[in-house]
Amino acid sequence: MDENDSFIFEKGYKRAQNNFIPKLDIECNKLEEFLPSNLIRDEIQIPDIPEVEIVRHFVKLSKINYGVDSGIYPLGSCTMKYNPKINEYVARLPEFTQLHPLQEENEGALQLIGNISKMLSEITGMDGFTLQPAAGAHGELVGLLIIKKYFETKGLLKNKIIIPDSAHGTNPASAKMAGFSIIELQSNEYGEVPLDHLEFAMKQGDIAGIMLTNPNTLGVFDRQIKEITKIVHKYDGLCYYDGANLNPMLGICRPRDMGFDIVHLNLHKTFSTPHGGGGPGSGPVGVTNELIPFLPIPCIISTEHGIVCNQDNINSIGRIKAFWGNFGIILRAYVYILSLGAEGLKRVGQIAVLNANYLRIQLQKKYNLPYKRICQHEFVLSDKDMPNEITTEDIAKRILDFGFYAPTIYFPLIVNGALMVEPTETESKNSLDKFVEVMNKIYDEALNEPEKLKNAPLNTPVKRLDAVNAARNPVLRD
Amino acid sequence: MDFIPHDDKTIAEMLKIIGISKIEDLFKDIPRDLIIKCLNLPEGLSEPDVLENLKELGKKNKTYSNSFLGAGCYFHYIPSLVDFVISRSEFYTSYTPYQAEASQGYLQAIYEYQSIISRLTQMDVANASMYDGSTALAEAAIMASIITGKNQVIILEGVHPEYIEVVKTYCWGQNIGLKIVPIEKLGDEVSKEIAAVLFQSPNFFGDIEDTLILAKFVKERYPNCLIIHCMTDPTCLGVLKPPGETDIDIFVAEGQSFGINPSFGGPGLGIFATRKKFLRKIPGRLVGKTKEINGNREGFLLTLQAREQHIRREKASSNICTNQALCSLSALVYLASLGKTGLCEIATQNFQKAHYVMNKIKLIPGYTLLNTKPIYNEFIVKCPNLDSLIEECTKLNLLPPLPLSKYYPEMKDIALVCVTESNSRESIDNFIKAVENANYSKEERF
Repeated sequence: MDENDSFIFEKGYKRAQNNFIPKLDIECNKLEEFLPSNLIRDEIQIPDIPEVEIVRHFVKLSKINYGVDSGIYPLGSCTMKYNPKINEYVARLPEFTQLHPLQEENEGALQLIGNISKMLSEITGMDGFTLQPAAGAHGELVGLLIIKKYFETKGLLKNKIIIPDSAHGTNPASAKMAGFSIIELQSNEYGEVPLDHLEFAMKQGDIAGIMLTNPNTLGVFDRQIKEITKIVHKYDGLCYYDGANLNPMLGICRPRDMGFDIVHLNLHKTFSTPHGGGGPGSGPVGVTNELIPFLPIPCIISTEHGIVCNQDNINSIGRIKAFWGNFGIILRAYVYILSLGAEGLKRVGQIAVLNANYLRIQLQKKYNLPYKRICQHEFVLSDKDMPNEITTEDIAKRILDFGFYAPTIYFPLIVNGALMVEPTETESKNSLDKFVEVMNKIYDEALNEPEKLKNAPLNTPVKRLDAVNAARNPVLRD
Repeated sequence: MDFIPHDDKTIAEMLKIIGISKIEDLFKDIPRDLIIKCLNLPEGLSEPDVLENLKELGKKNKTYSNSFLGAGCYFHYIPSLVDFVISRSEFYTSYTPYQAEASQGYLQAIYEYQSIISRLTQMDVANASMYDGSTALAEAAIMASIITGKNQVIILEGVHPEYIEVVKTYCWGQNIGLKIVPIEKLGDEVSKEIAAVLFQSPNFFGDIEDTLILAKFVKERYPNCLIIHCMTDPTCLGVLKPPGETDIDIFVAEGQSFGINPSFGGPGLGIFATRKKFLRKIPGRLVGKTKEINGNREGFLLTLQAREQHIRREKASSNICTNQALCSLSALVYLASLGKTGLCEIATQNFQKAHYVMNKIKLIPGYTLLNTKPIYNEFIVKCPNLDSLIEECTKLNLLPPLPLSKYYPEMKDIALVCVTESNSRESIDNFIKAVENANYSKEERF
């Protein structure tokens, strides 16, 4: 950090200069007359800063931050596609922003939620959706609580969940939050779920089901998906679909047809709502007819007679968030689906896969590709064959030097030194070619000038940061 | 409109380089019978048509000139620079800042957010954000259970009814017992088996609890029991004694009041702050300050990640991944824009305007104010005819107060009224008029 990037707290002025509060236009008493003095605080340690200083501060910070609008953002499993500007415009219309969640006349908002539920049902093949969950992991928790409740009402004790070792980290963490213990299943040499191991595990009887993402985190479509879900169902288990990787499946095939009972989606991945630097997101959950009674409340269902809003439902898992979900995000996703329509969504699936394979074919010439198959939305390289002991971290940091963001690194855990690349459909061929060029150049540097990689990044606002010391002696505030 | 830059010629070139002849070949791993022909959805729309469509839907939502409704979601004035900052696409189109060196801007902003919340609350440390106030409260209960090793929590009745339901759901998930207790019975119910006492102040009905005494009461008897303080409109911290100056262990709040539009109740912001000794048990992201490995410049990164799901998987302190980063940026800009002077002034005005309205209503026959403790910007009032009051408000284009019977069927004709700095003199006069009319209209009927 340079001196001129100082903290917002160091911009204090003696006199307040901003004027964001209306003039008090009523006759009223002093605070002390209705509030005991022992409840009143001393001065807050937040300085008064002139507006222009605040604006310059944040503009300066924005200039040292990389977004999708800056260039390719190939983070695997994050689906960093372009965020259409129309989404942002619509989300700022006062008819939506100035809507109170408890006001009566809200028909437009409920109808929108009902409409998008139906669209997501069509896209995934499910029968009903809740738009309540605020993010993907929140959706996972809801899905797992539905599984828990389903077996509870049947009077069955099933407290274990099967999760393959290729799964997103949120899967086991969510399962634990819903009270399940986890049985980890090792993927086979193709990166797929081994049917014999699955059947062996299911036979134990206390297994509630399986959590899967398909295509999985290797970017590979599990060819035996129908057999997998069949085995789980044979032993009365439920199949949960982690929709983080749904993008390449849009308009191509549907989780329900694969045999899944529960699906969560990430509107901030697949449906183009901005990731916002870590949220707000939205993680709708879709289920089969049999599981609709377990959805969280309030449950909005679009019927032939209009929108029905269920506030209580005896079998529901209960409420999982105040009010209606991240409506502002749901709204953006709705705009996206309307813009694309059926054909547009199918093209998203197709081009996402085209772009990923185009990159894979070219990058595997120099980089190790542990699973040599046609991929779907993403693929995973490793640092296995890198010369001069160059690591995945070195490669990632050097990518930053060339003005691009780096892929997801060291995930999935089943590939040592993983570099997980997901370009998305909105990158042009030109943009992909530039990325390949940079990756090739980095490989040549690894051969001939390895120090450049080991010291990378060199062109960013700061050089490689000391994460070990940060964790050992945490400084989390000023 | 699909936002895809390729033309057919480009696609053909790319297929050739991949070594296949048609796009369908990319999907040959998928069993044939799973491939669908086409989704049953309408054709895509042009931008003006989309806009038209959404404006039509928007018309079915009523917007009011002024609001007397709060109950967990508040209308406060938002300075224009808040939207300006969060509209910088370097911020809003970025991902969680995994690559620190290319994300210094956002990381510094989150660090400043953690700092500004810590300063406002006087707690030691705040995380980068949770989904909303209700889930922050639920995660606080779970954190308390992990810390104490006990699986019983108490929640006081004054907590927002939707928050209580959310805590109930989360606790059921983790097999944690939950007791809902009126504040007068707290002494009878708290015991050494209790992991935490959860309470809200100002509570759902508007009452400001004496948190100092409440926390002390529990801590003197059971020093290991955690005290969790929840708030739905933290603008009151501009005036009220901060939780950090009491025995509160975890402070959570809904941060929507800090520069975030109501937007039908989401996205909001889960504020989560605690004491240093619990640092390694906090759920969610944390940004830390450090130095370059081979240099002297300071920089920021995500830290203490060993608590988190992507490292620890099922042993993580929470499953939270994506949180509400952009909303925390709104809160930071909002709090910085107001500064200490503005924050104090805004809280003072909320106090004053709410009391002004309360004092006016007190004089109108048929109405009874029900709060017995000091209030901030919400209060409850027994009305002669609440339906009629709602009708009168709507006539005057005012968003009416909440009928408590929505959550408590037995509380008939009791309104939860919210008055903030955004209520103009004119709207207040109109509201008083509505209150008066609602009274007369009932008398006329008899």
